[in-house]
Amino acid sequence: MDTTIIKTARLNFSFAKGQKTLQDVNLEVPKGSIYGFLGPNGAGKTTTLRLLLGLLKNQQGSIEIFDKDFTKSRIEVLKNVGSLIEQPSLYGHLTATENLQIYRRIYGVQKFRITHVLKMVGLEGTGNKKAKQFSLGMKQRLSIAVALLHQPELLILDEPTNGLDPNGIIETRELLKKLNKEHGVTILVSSHILAEIERMATHVGIIHKGKLLFQGTLPELQNMKNKQSFIQIDTNNNNAALSLLSAEYGAESKNGYVVLPFKEKSVTAAINRKLVEHNIEVHLLQPQQNDLEQLFIDITSNNN
Amino acid sequence: MNFIISTQSELLKTKRTASFWLSLAGAALIPTIVFLHLTLDPGDAVKTFAADPWKRIFFSAWQILAALLLPMYMILICTLIPQIEFKNNTWKQVFASPQTVSNIFFSKFLTIHLMILFCFILFNVLLILSGVLINLISPEFTFLQRSLDWETIMRLNVKTYISILGISAIQYWLSLRFKNFVAPVGVGLVLIIGGVVAMNLNWVHIYKYPYIYPFLSYDSMKKTSGPFLENHEWNSIGYFVFFMLVGFLDMKLRKEKG
Repeated sequence: MDTTIIKTARLNFSFAKGQKTLQDVNLEVPKGSIYGFLGPNGAGKTTTLRLLLGLLKNQQGSIEIFDKDFTKSRIEVLKNVGSLIEQPSLYGHLTATENLQIYRRIYGVQKFRITHVLKMVGLEGTGNKKAKQFSLGMKQRLSIAVALLHQPELLILDEPTNGLDPNGIIETRELLKKLNKEHGVTILVSSHILAEIERMATHVGIIHKGKLLFQGTLPELQNMKNKQSFIQIDTNNNNAALSLLSAEYGAESKNGYVVLPFKEKSVTAAINRKLVEHNIEVHLLQPQQNDLEQLFIDITSNNN
Repeated sequence: MNFIISTQSELLKTKRTASFWLSLAGAALIPTIVFLHLTLDPGDAVKTFAADPWKRIFFSAWQILAALLLPMYMILICTLIPQIEFKNNTWKQVFASPQTVSNIFFSKFLTIHLMILFCFILFNVLLILSGVLINLISPEFTFLQRSLDWETIMRLNVKTYISILGISAIQYWLSLRFKNFVAPVGVGLVLIIGGVVAMNLNWVHIYKYPYIYPFLSYDSMKKTSGPFLENHEWNSIGYFVFFMLVGFLDMKLRKEKG
């Protein structure tokens, strides 16, 4: 996992003069990872992904994919990339098989791949049904089949679960995990839902207002979360408890409770002991964690 | 090789689309009307067709084709094929596939022209077929006794095809430029009507106006001498080269693709 598949350096982009959609985005997607690209709507996720696929003209900064300069080796790079950007892009008047046939020769893959990918996404039985008659979930799955047709090393998926029902979301997630695990496909997947990314990603990048605010592994993100954990204490005499703990542990009063940063379990025990030794009755002592949801909101709202 | 693959993929996309049916209907309309007219109501036609029935049927059919039907068909076919991508929101997938911009641009254009060629060939075949059928139904016609003047038919086809090259490049560029199909169709229709008006006013610069070129080519067939290509046909080639370049650069240099 030490090589990088996608590397951008100081990527800047503006649609209108003076309004930066992307600011110094340095994306690093390691080989073999599922990289969750997270951010609220309008943060610059789609813009970044479109730049990576050459759908937008790069204005400033560099993009390297498979260690190649994207602008110079566009065709060569794209041969190994499968993509799905925003809504499904399918030919509504054609069947699932025909939609895949359009791309089969362009990517130079063999015929059996079509049945193979259709089976993979569970669309093998659609026969003569036209894509426009498909449900949104089926369309999305067919789009994923198009992206997978040529067994790409890298998948770039923009909100692939958008508009899917819970079942569809789970199926898509499992499919992506399987591709990653069994075929070693590196996946860059964007989403505005943290829980979604948390369930499948190995790496996370959080973008907000065009800036990459966090980039690292999922455990690193969880570490950050732990740093924001605290211990909540309630006693028969909170004022005494507060003065007892404020100097040593940095306790504060919050919402009628005594609150202090969580460090280790042994520290929690020591605090309890100290309170009891000073004849303070402990009614409540519990470590609390900010969930990732809160962390996400914190990260994205602190940087206005 | 890559270009052939891109074109094959483009042809696949036209399956079951209106562009195929439009070409079919465009080719069949006039031969069908001529057939119905001459079988249901032969009357004087037997006499007027007596001298040279094939020439007569070809020229009368071609006149309507060149003046009105062909320019309209050009506008629609040049719009319909790029619209497949706009309508399905598929431009992004096309541009994210490993194809060069020139392959994308020229393979789509070639697909349009393959449709046009299909329409031309079908038109000729159906016209000949209707001549034969008319004769079988009404033996007083003389189609079966006369041989076809292949040279004239070829000249008519080749000159007309050259005459539409300019329109096709202009309309192709407009259709790629505008997501909304009303724009290229509207502009095209206005330019056709403008051409008909200019023609009626005997405008001296008419040979500079591409939307009337098919009719000028038809008209020039009446001449018995002179060079194969008329001035306006050279102009058509000029417009073609110029607007292909404009269209290509426009696609190539666009900041936002798909």
